[in-house]
Amino acid sequence: MTEKEQLDILEGWLKLHKGLIFKVVRAYTVTDHDDLFQEIIIQVWHSIPAFRREASVTTWLYRIALNTAIKWTKKEKKYSGAETLDNVQHLLQENRAQTDERLSWLYGEIYKLDEIERSVTLLLLEGFSYKDMSAILGISESNVGVRINRIKKQLIAKSKNYDSHGI
Amino acid sequence: MEFDEMKKIWDAQNSQPFYEIDEKALRNIQLKMNTVLRATSVSEWLLILINLGAGIILLGLHPFKSGANIFLYLEAAWMFGIVVYLLVCRDRRIKASRRFDRSIHGDLDHWISLAGYQMRISQIVRWNFLPLGAIMILSGWEAGKLARVGIVILVSFSVAFYVTSKGYQVNKRRKRKLQVLKEKLDTGI
Repeated sequence: MTEKEQLDILEGWLKLHKGLIFKVVRAYTVTDHDDLFQEIIIQVWHSIPAFRREASVTTWLYRIALNTAIKWTKKEKKYSGAETLDNVQHLLQENRAQTDERLSWLYGEIYKLDEIERSVTLLLLEGFSYKDMSAILGISESNVGVRINRIKKQLIAKSKNYDSHGI
Repeated sequence: MEFDEMKKIWDAQNSQPFYEIDEKALRNIQLKMNTVLRATSVSEWLLILINLGAGIILLGLHPFKSGANIFLYLEAAWMFGIVVYLLVCRDRRIKASRRFDRSIHGDLDHWISLAGYQMRISQIVRWNFLPLGAIMILSGWEAGKLARVGIVILVSFSVAFYVTSKGYQVNKRRKRKLQVLKEKLDTGI
């Protein structure tokens, strides 16, 4: 695969599925959106030659984006001086038109979970089946099921506070 | 709020993404993508080239002739041996990396293994100085420059020990964090 073909695929994927990456970025960081987004698209670009169409593009992108986000949160030092130069020019601009407070609350609650639970919650909200989630996470379906039950209960309980007190 | 309602709130963002991408900034990243190299690969090649270069310089400075210092040839041979060893390790690492699946679990396994590999490389670089230093001391002793050679070895070993200790500790912490994450994934706690 030539570099040009690889870049064309990346652009095509970004055009169709950038929303998916935005969700992962927003769920995994509060302040370093540009850094994480940049890291994810670099990893997606690297992964393109390995994509065999056995999985859908969405599933593949979720795998790469979540893997990257989990590791990114565990890094000692996120970026060296040279790399931060790219951040002077902001890669992502927040869309101020989107003001659903309930969605912001939901992201806030997801952010409070640990890295693994965050992944499970994102996949759950995206509507992935247990089987797909099990394949993306590399754990058994029963393990997925246990986590989902716990996360659902937790989110519903917290939403009751939000509904009654707005917190 | 029931979970179905949360799902509806979640799905509603698909029609109105939270971010917009600055196309110019994106193009800057695309331009440099191909130059992004992994730290592991860089450190491997650096070590290979340093050892290879040092070995060649030693042989170049002291061409085979009668009466030449045998220990210098031993040093060069040792460095070439290290080059071969590093190439074998690199080949094994690349082959092993194909074993891991692309799931989050598989990826964590891969990164844990990579952190362990980097720790081993740090150790090799650190302790490689002992036999190398011994050969150099013998070489200096034969050439009557023991004090000068001794100082060079002491300084080099101190620098290498400090640098590799830092690298070793960073990778050790990273490996531990990844192991904790993998345990969480396995046990669900």
